[in-house]
Amino acid sequence: MNTASDALIRLDGVTKTFGSTTALKNASLQVSRGEIVVLLGLSGSGKSTLLRHLDGLEVPTSGEIEVLGAKVPTLKGKALRALRSRVGFIFQQFELVPSLTVLENVLTGSLSEVRGPRLGLWGYSKAAKLRALEHLDRVGLLDRAYQRSDTLSGGQQQRVAIARALMQKPDILLADEPVASLDPESSDQVMALIREIAADEGLTVVCSLHQVDLAISWADRIVGLRHGEIVLDTPTGDLTKAEVMEIYGRVATTTAEIRAVQDELTEITVDVAQLDKARAS
Amino acid sequence: MTVLSDPPRAHATPARTSVADRAPRRPISAERIAAGLTLLALLVLGILAVDEVGISIPAMVQSWGNAENFMARVGGLSFPEPADLAWLIALTVGLVLVGTLLAAALSVPIAYLAASNTTPGNGWRAAARFVGVLTRALPDVVLAMAFVLMFSLGTLPGILAIGIHSIGMISKMFADAIEQIDEGPRLAIRAAGGSKMQEFASGILPQVLPSWVATVLHRNDINLRGSVVLGYVGVAGLGLEMSYAFKSLNYGKGLGIALVIFVLCVVMEIVSSLVRGAMLGQQRQTRSWIDRIIHPRLRGATGAATTERPEWAASPQTAVRRPWTAERMRNTTGIVTAVLVVIGSVVVSQINWMDFFTFWAKLPEVAAKFWPPSFGNYEASAMIAAMRDTVAIALAATVLTLLPSLILGSLAASNVAPGAGARGIARFLLVGIRGIPELILAIVLVVITGLGAQAGVIALAIGGIGLLGKLIADSLEEVDRGPERALRAVGATRLQTYASATVPQGMQALIGHSFYMLDTNIRAATILGIVGGGGVGYYLLNASQGSRYETVTAIVLMILVTVLVVEGLAMWMRKVFR
Repeated sequence: MNTASDALIRLDGVTKTFGSTTALKNASLQVSRGEIVVLLGLSGSGKSTLLRHLDGLEVPTSGEIEVLGAKVPTLKGKALRALRSRVGFIFQQFELVPSLTVLENVLTGSLSEVRGPRLGLWGYSKAAKLRALEHLDRVGLLDRAYQRSDTLSGGQQQRVAIARALMQKPDILLADEPVASLDPESSDQVMALIREIAADEGLTVVCSLHQVDLAISWADRIVGLRHGEIVLDTPTGDLTKAEVMEIYGRVATTTAEIRAVQDELTEITVDVAQLDKARAS
Repeated sequence: MTVLSDPPRAHATPARTSVADRAPRRPISAERIAAGLTLLALLVLGILAVDEVGISIPAMVQSWGNAENFMARVGGLSFPEPADLAWLIALTVGLVLVGTLLAAALSVPIAYLAASNTTPGNGWRAAARFVGVLTRALPDVVLAMAFVLMFSLGTLPGILAIGIHSIGMISKMFADAIEQIDEGPRLAIRAAGGSKMQEFASGILPQVLPSWVATVLHRNDINLRGSVVLGYVGVAGLGLEMSYAFKSLNYGKGLGIALVIFVLCVVMEIVSSLVRGAMLGQQRQTRSWIDRIIHPRLRGATGAATTERPEWAASPQTAVRRPWTAERMRNTTGIVTAVLVVIGSVVVSQINWMDFFTFWAKLPEVAAKFWPPSFGNYEASAMIAAMRDTVAIALAATVLTLLPSLILGSLAASNVAPGAGARGIARFLLVGIRGIPELILAIVLVVITGLGAQAGVIALAIGGIGLLGKLIADSLEEVDRGPERALRAVGATRLQTYASATVPQGMQALIGHSFYMLDTNIRAATILGIVGGGGVGYYLLNASQGSRYETVTAIVLMILVTVLVVEGLAMWMRKVFR
C-alpha cells in the first residue's frame, strides 16, 4: 500500500530469537511519514522487541530493518547514534534519572548534539536550556524545571520523558506502553499529548499498547501481534463492531484472556454503538 | 459446601503411604556440605586459637596492677602545644583525605571495568578485579615503607600508601553500586543517541553518586584510624608524634596524643554520618530519633505542591536562570564546603610535587632492594610459625567478635531493635568502639597484659565489634520487610520473627561480612605485631628497620597468599550460601 520511498520504517522478514524463545517471527511492516500506528498485543507478544529493533537497541537474528533510509542492523558507533538521535523513545517506566532535575533530564535528549559527557546543568548551552524549557512549557511542567525528577507523579514524569524525546528534534517517535504504569486520568493526558505533538511536528508515531479500546480510539492504524507474529494490520477509520470483536479474538490468546475480553466487550460494544450513532448523526 | 461435608475417603486409600514418605527428600548438595564443614572447621580452629592465646579474665584482673603502676609512672596526660597540635591534626586529616580521594579517583575507571554491566569484556573485568584484590592485600604500612624510601619524608608516602591500598575496597564497592543501578535511565540515554561516556556521566553517575560518597567517607574513617600506624614507619602526622613520644618513653604525651586521635576519629565518624544522612535524606525519610535531632526532616517537594506558578516560571526565557530555592542554597553550600575542604587538605599536606620527577630515578634502585624475596637470616620454619600465629590471632579475634557484634548489630537494626532508644544506644556504642584505632587499643593492652598475642587478640576483637556490628546492622535493615510482617501476623514473637524472617534473609551477608572481618583481621594482626602484639608483624618491622627489604618482600608475599586464600574462601561461601 506504500511505495518503498515513502516508508520511513520498513521491516522485512524480521525474526529475533533469545535462546530458545522466539520473540519475533518473520515480521514485515511498513510505516509511512506522518502515520500514527499502534502495535497491539498482550505482554510477551513481541511489541517491545519490535520497537527496540527500530532504534537499534536489539539486533535481529535475521531479516532487514530500514529506518529513515538507514539499514539499522548494520549501523555501528557514530552512525547508530546519529540514527537514534532522530528517533525519540518513550518508555513504560519513563526512565528518567531520579536524582537529576527535570530540566537536566530533558537536556539529556540533546546529548547526541554535543561531544563528550556533561556533568550538571552548566554543561549545556544557554540555547539548549531555553529549548528544553520551551518543551517543558509545552508539556505544562515549566514550573517543575528545577525539581528532582523523582518528586513528580507518574503522569508528570512521562510528560518530562516526552519533552526529552522532543529535545532530540525527532522524525519518528516510538512509545513502548507509555501509559501502562499510569492511572486512567494521566493516561488520557499523556496519550492526548502524544497525538497533539505528533500533529504539530508532523511526527511518525509507533506506539505499543495492550488495551484494545484505547488503541481503537487513538490510532490511525492497528498492527496486532501474537506470539511474535503480525496477525492483523488494519486502519481504524471505519471499524465495524464485528471487526472490533475480531481484533479482540485475534489478540487474546488463552481462554482466561478471552473470558476477560468478553467481560470488557460488553462495555466496548456499548461504546462502539455510541460511536456509530455519533458518526451517523 | 456439599463437597466439603463429603469426607474425601475415596481418595485416602489405606494403602496410601504417609505424607512423610511421599514428601520429596531434602536435596543434598555436596558443595553445600563441604562449605558447611569448612565453616565449622574454621569456627573450631578459631575456638582452639582463643584457647591457645590463653585469654583468662583472672590473669587480666591480676595484671590490672601493671596498668596502675604504669599509669602512676605516666603521671598524667600531656599534649603538644595547642598550635602544634592544631597543625598536626590538620596535617593528619588532610593527608588522609587526599589519600582517600586519590584512591577514589583511581577507583572510578577500575570500577567501570570491573562492573558486569559496564565492562567492555571479561578480560578487562578479570584484570580490574585482580588490581582490586592485589591493592587490598598489600598492607598500607608496607606500601608506606617502600614509598618512604622513594620519596623525601613528609606526607607523600602516606598519601600514596593510603591511595593505593584503598583502591581495593573503594573500587569493589563502586563496582557493586554500578551493578545495582536501574538500567532504564541509561537505556533512555542510549536510545537518544548518547555515547558510552555520556551514558556514564548522565545515566549512571547520578544514580551511584550517593553510594559512592558514602563509600569514600566510610573509607576515610578507616584510613584515619589506620594513619596512626603509618606514623610508625615515618609518615608525618599525629601517628609519628605518638611513636616518637613512646620511643622516648614519654608515655604521658604518647597517651595524650592517642586520646586526641580517638576523639578525632569519633568526630570524623559523626561528621561523615551527617554528610551521608544529608545525602540519603533526599531519598529516604525513615530515620531514628537520633537522626531526626541531628538533621531535621527535609520537606519533599511533592508535599509543597503549589497551585500557583512561581514568578520565575512565567515563560521559558525567565526560567533560564535557576531560582535560588532553599534546596539549591543548601546544595551549593555543601558543594562549596566540600571543594574548600579538599583544597585545604591539599594545601595542608604540603605535597612535594618535585618528588614525582625525582622518584623515577630512584625506582629501579628501590625495586632492586626489594627483589628477590628471601627470608635472609630468619629460619623459614620460624617465619611460617609466625605467619601461623598471625592467622591464629586473626581467627581467634574473629570468633570472639562474632557473638557480641551479632547482638549489638541486631539491636542497632531498626527492624529488630525493640525500640528507638535501644537502637540509638546500640548505634552510639558501635560508633564509639569504631572510633578507637586498634593500634592505640593494642598499645594500652600491651601495657596491661604485657607483650604477646593476648593483647593483639583482644584489641582486634574489640575493634572488630565496631565494624562487624555496623555491617550486620546495615544488612539486617536491608532485608525485605514483607516476611517479617507476615510472621508477626501469624503471631510470632519478636525473637521468633528475628530468627525465622530477618536472619535467614541476611545470612549470606552475615557470612560475607564475617569473612571480610577475618580478612581485615589478618592484615590488622600483621600491623599489631609491629607494636608487640605477636605474629609475623614483629619480623616485618624488624626487617624493615634493619633495611633487609628482600625479607620484607618475602613476608609480604606470605601475607598476600594468606589473604588471597581467605578471599577465595569468602567468594566460594558467598556463592554456595546465596
